[in-house]
Amino acid sequence: MAGERLSRRKFIKATGGGALAAGLGANIIIPGRARAAKKLKILQWVHFVPAYDEWFNKKYIKEWGEKNDTEVTVDNIGIAGIAARAAGEVSAQKGHDLFLFNWPPPTYEEQTVDMKDVIQECERKAGKPIDLAIKSTYNPKTKKYFAFSPSFTPDPVNYRQDLFGQVGMPNGPRTWDDVRTGGAKVKKQAGNPVGIGLAQEIDTGMAMRTIMYSFGSHEQDAEGNFALDSKNTLDALKFVKALFEETMTPEVFTWDASSNNRAMIAGKISLALNAISITRTAEKDAPDMSKRIQLTKALRGPVRAIGLEHVMDCYVVWKFAENIEGAKKFLVDYVENFRLGFLAGEFYDFPCYPKTVPDLTKLIANDPKAHPPDKYKVLDDVLNWATNVGYPGYSNAAIDEIFNTWVLNVMFAKAASGSATPEEALKEAVAASKRVFAKWKEKGLV
Amino acid sequence: MAVLARDAVPAPVSRRSLLDNEKWLGRLMLAPAILYIILLVGFPFFLALYYSVSDITLGRQSLGFVGLKHYAAVIGTPKFRTSVQNTFVFALLSQLIVMILGNVLALLLLKDFRGKWFVRLLLLLPWVAPISLGSIGWLWILDSTYSVINWTLQALSLVPPEGGFMWLGIPHLAMGSIIAIHVWRILPLATVIILAGLTAIPQEIHDAAAVDGAGPWRHHFQITLPLLQPVMMVAGLFGLVFAFTDMIVIYVLTRGGPYDTTQVLATLAFFTGVAAGDLGEGAAISLFLFPFLLAVAVLMLRVARRAEVT
Repeated sequence: MAGERLSRRKFIKATGGGALAAGLGANIIIPGRARAAKKLKILQWVHFVPAYDEWFNKKYIKEWGEKNDTEVTVDNIGIAGIAARAAGEVSAQKGHDLFLFNWPPPTYEEQTVDMKDVIQECERKAGKPIDLAIKSTYNPKTKKYFAFSPSFTPDPVNYRQDLFGQVGMPNGPRTWDDVRTGGAKVKKQAGNPVGIGLAQEIDTGMAMRTIMYSFGSHEQDAEGNFALDSKNTLDALKFVKALFEETMTPEVFTWDASSNNRAMIAGKISLALNAISITRTAEKDAPDMSKRIQLTKALRGPVRAIGLEHVMDCYVVWKFAENIEGAKKFLVDYVENFRLGFLAGEFYDFPCYPKTVPDLTKLIANDPKAHPPDKYKVLDDVLNWATNVGYPGYSNAAIDEIFNTWVLNVMFAKAASGSATPEEALKEAVAASKRVFAKWKEKGLV
Repeated sequence: MAVLARDAVPAPVSRRSLLDNEKWLGRLMLAPAILYIILLVGFPFFLALYYSVSDITLGRQSLGFVGLKHYAAVIGTPKFRTSVQNTFVFALLSQLIVMILGNVLALLLLKDFRGKWFVRLLLLLPWVAPISLGSIGWLWILDSTYSVINWTLQALSLVPPEGGFMWLGIPHLAMGSIIAIHVWRILPLATVIILAGLTAIPQEIHDAAAVDGAGPWRHHFQITLPLLQPVMMVAGLFGLVFAFTDMIVIYVLTRGGPYDTTQVLATLAFFTGVAAGDLGEGAAISLFLFPFLLAVAVLMLRVARRAEVT
């Protein structure tokens, strides 16, 4: 009996202790965490540059947590899983305190905390943000900041210097007409086509909008009125059709978001629009090719020279988050320390608060990994020419649906392939986009 | 002896009578399956049904009733009509191929030959492997830059050195590719079902046909196939439902491209409901074919049952 009593006592001790430990979390068990009075849970993508995650997950959040008496945890998931994960968290009304979207998430506005105070505090500490950051996170209809953007990824033109040099453009194309004429010559002489996607994927969405905006064509005007149905859009469509016929192959209809990277690094294509992921990958995996791939600024169209963001880092704080104040403070501090993130990410993420990286021009003008070291110098004025999806208006729910259901990608692809005339393709896209605008207006978000 | 005596003690009358009561035992044993269906099939289905007549979005949890508005809104759009057409082409063609190949493979596996177990193993692999991984593998096989098929064709000088096919970039090739991959995935299930049906046909019937002098074709088409009809109906029903509702192969390979020529209702529902945030409209799109599929299921099961009785 004594033995039995002893085992029961032991059992109660063990299970009770276990339950207590489980209930109170790892703070009890793991020395060093015991002091943390608060918790902050962050979800973000697996960064394209592994060194960024190394810095953020193992260094930055640890130091921030110690300073702010908070146990910070980060869950990294693939970019493809973000949309479904966000939907899941909102549906369950439970999840992370800080959730990073890689695009503006206006449809979640009613689930997110207004970030006005974060933006004001950041502005007080780090100066004014760039217009792109505001246009991607603010809803002028409801006067709410549904997200907060500390950084974005530029979407420059990557071109093969050796190939364009052979056709008299050693510094690459400067205008969209240069791409058409130079690209056609390169294709004819060297056999390398231009590689601008015409598929149902994100890079195509960005590239087609870049062309549209430089032709003065837009989904909406600055006030958010529907504006796709214009002569400028038709001109852009006719241009893309000619560009496809003269410089490309049907390969571009097959692409996913990483196909242009692969095709460029494999030496197959002469030009692509992408983040600096192509050049960074080439520096590691194909150094010879890296020397041949160079970057240019936004190309000039008939109306303006403009480029898109490639990735827009938009943090939201859910209304159901458990540590709203901690999440906001984290963002303000992150912006103040963004220079470290800029370096850790190997210039992949550019600051939305330019003053946080005062020596940006100097840093990108001399990168030992680049061939030549000043390869990224062309991005020194990217803060002036990078714009948001939905330019010249804001990234709202209608713009988001048009982007995510590939309405414009399909419009350009149909016109380019000849499966519809530019006029027919435009008519169909206008009808689809008008319906989307009307729908979200009725829901009160546009 | 004591142990034997203890073992011989009958269970309490009440427990024994409960276990001996077929009515209650049956209910008890069916309960987990019914619970599973209610929780993981019935509840999401009725939720989706309600979503489709509500104004719910990803960011708005309210469920304001809007009637059939979403159905009326999408039905007139060219994208929707294209998706319906593609869905039927994809489902019917893939199922037709599956049924033909399933029959051939089942007949082959009915015979005894060396390495039969290995062939069976190979046949089942596509079914047991996660379809997302399989589709990613196919994405690489059909990749525009690194397609192993194009490399092989080039190596055999069947296409020029830089030539090859844009498997996912030309509409009919893209549709052909996704149908082929769907067939690759579904074929094992159909084959196993048909094989089970073949083994269930009594040998006497085959013997009688042989004695009566029926040739292989007549034997197959006039004896084996009619007897297989109920089983083939079940295999066909499974395959059709899979083909009409699946989106993984298309999502991974084409995302509906090139220019919506492989867009089906399942992918359109995902892009509208999850990627673009309009859950109500996405639910309406996904449920559009439900009445049709229900009718097809009822019809096929009735035909199967009738064939079984006669």
